[in-house]
Amino acid sequence: MFKRRWNLAPYLLILPSFIYLVLFFAWPMARSLQLAFQRDTQILPVHATAEEDSEEIGYLPMQTEVAILERERREEELPSGRTRPIYWYRVSGPNDQGETVEGWVNQRYLFLRSRTESETARVVSGVETREWTLAQVKRMVNDSRFGRALGTTLLLIVLILPVQFVLAIIMALILQSQIKFSTLFLYIYAIPLGISDLAAGLVWEAMFKQNGFINTFLQQLGLIDRPYIFLSFENRHWMVVAIVLAEIWRATSIVMVIVVSGLQGIPRDYMEAGEVFGANLWQRLRHIILPLLKPSLQVALILRTILAFQVFAVVVAISGGRVLTVLAYETYRWYDPSDAGFNNPNVAAAYAGFIMLISLVISLVYLRLVRTQEEAARE
Amino acid sequence: MTTIAQPLDTVQRRALRRRRLRRAGVYVLAISLAIWILMPIWLIGTMAFSPQEKVYVYPKPVAPIPLSTETMEFFLNYAGILEATRNSVLVALLTLVLSTLIALPAGYAISRYLFPGRDAFRLIILAVRAFPIVILAVPLAVTFIQLNMYDKVYSVALMHTALTLPTTILVIASVFASVPVELEEAARVFGCSPLQAFWRVIFPLVLPGIAAAAIFTFVMSWNEVFAATLLTLRNRTLPALILYTLNKSPLEFQYAGGFFMLVPSLIFIFFIRRYLFNMWGQITK
Repeated sequence: MFKRRWNLAPYLLILPSFIYLVLFFAWPMARSLQLAFQRDTQILPVHATAEEDSEEIGYLPMQTEVAILERERREEELPSGRTRPIYWYRVSGPNDQGETVEGWVNQRYLFLRSRTESETARVVSGVETREWTLAQVKRMVNDSRFGRALGTTLLLIVLILPVQFVLAIIMALILQSQIKFSTLFLYIYAIPLGISDLAAGLVWEAMFKQNGFINTFLQQLGLIDRPYIFLSFENRHWMVVAIVLAEIWRATSIVMVIVVSGLQGIPRDYMEAGEVFGANLWQRLRHIILPLLKPSLQVALILRTILAFQVFAVVVAISGGRVLTVLAYETYRWYDPSDAGFNNPNVAAAYAGFIMLISLVISLVYLRLVRTQEEAARE
Repeated sequence: MTTIAQPLDTVQRRALRRRRLRRAGVYVLAISLAIWILMPIWLIGTMAFSPQEKVYVYPKPVAPIPLSTETMEFFLNYAGILEATRNSVLVALLTLVLSTLIALPAGYAISRYLFPGRDAFRLIILAVRAFPIVILAVPLAVTFIQLNMYDKVYSVALMHTALTLPTTILVIASVFASVPVELEEAARVFGCSPLQAFWRVIFPLVLPGIAAAAIFTFVMSWNEVFAATLLTLRNRTLPALILYTLNKSPLEFQYAGGFFMLVPSLIFIFFIRRYLFNMWGQITK
């Protein structure tokens, strides 16, 4: 089966993909954490002598009040050839650790009332630098929409996944039951695999709209006498229902495909044995199929859960993102440079980091699972 | 003899009837589920192919009568849609080419060589596939702005390649694994160089599978909304543009747009349906 001779070839063959994943997966991940936990700021370096290129002996944070101990007047040459006076000050003030820093700074970094008279000054600019901070993460967590976004995301998972799994198992069993046209049914059940969450959102919005299809059906059945407004601010539960249906409609296929592959791996003997001993469908399902399907179901569960934390366009299409919000939408909203957004990539990165953290934990569980399954398969 | 056969016959007939009933039940279930999937597509298609004023009527028609391309034309002529569609196709094609070219050698290596680190590499790929890669659009957008790569078709394609690469590698590996290595060895015995053996013997056999993987890559890129929205501003892809104009656009735009977006999946899933299980089937291999 395998070429066993050790050589360099396989490493060269996987090298491009490895490099690609480092560049566009590992590196952005690190960058995301950096964005979330660092911020751009300015600090003022304090010099040993009144020279720009002299040794930096300490740093002062912005807005520090400093005492002026000494001043020195210099001439600065302008491009026009003329000169103008420029002052250097020996200042003393506390740095962010509370230690007193003393040294020379150029006047242009300070705010002072009089260049020749003032006894104190304030630090107003400096050089660009980055500092570690929890401020952006705090801002994410303290935002009132964070809790709602997390809550809605979790609620959707709880409502969607069970129905999805039951439906997927039913679809898979139908496809495996040797009915006629099974390839046609497979095709139909697999169509949503290629449907984007945006399209699904648009489709189900059309269903639930005030002049939409669900109202039409209900009215034709005589259940209502005028259209009901499902998707409104007061009817948030109907929005949840619409999103849940859209997601079940769209994303059950992936679970179905995994379950069918799992079913194909179950030896026919087991099923036949069950039939021979007179087990009915429920008994076979309960005692033969589901236990043997467990590995596939676990994998599907993990993949679906991680995907569910990225749910985005369905929610935007159905609720506009204002009434109901989810984690991915908040990420987008904080990043969005247009008027509707906050244009704050750092908080957006904090959201991204949060989603990554959740997914990482779930992925680790997933990897353990795959490993134990492979070990079990080897034995 | 007949006296013994008689009771057996009733039992058999009853069993047969029960069997037929169960069969009918399976078909009813299968068809209802098919309707559940197809009905919404049909209904949005009805809207997309009705005259424009029908889009606003209530109660809604359940079939496109009279059939009209007015709504669809309105959508396609809407400001920016043609450019966005072109961008989307370009991004998807670039993603397809990049992803397939990079995944091809890796998939071959995983399925054909047993080398130290192979399992680790496979686990990394599995983990990356499960990872919410689109979220990485946030740091990438910031970096792309610094590198002057923001709002470009190719930078969206670079992101989408990261998204599709793990899946493509796994599918291609499973496609290669389904072709016996003995064929390759036989070609070598008859004097082919390794490259010739691959090109003349293996490649034609794996081509359909690789094409299926490439098509799936195309569809994934065509559908991707989140990263495309973050990484573009003026050069929107189709989903990004539709999402962006959602609140400002008229109903016919949304219906026709929704239908237009799901057409590729109707066509492409048909061609790749046999390979779907290659994509997700090989959990343990």
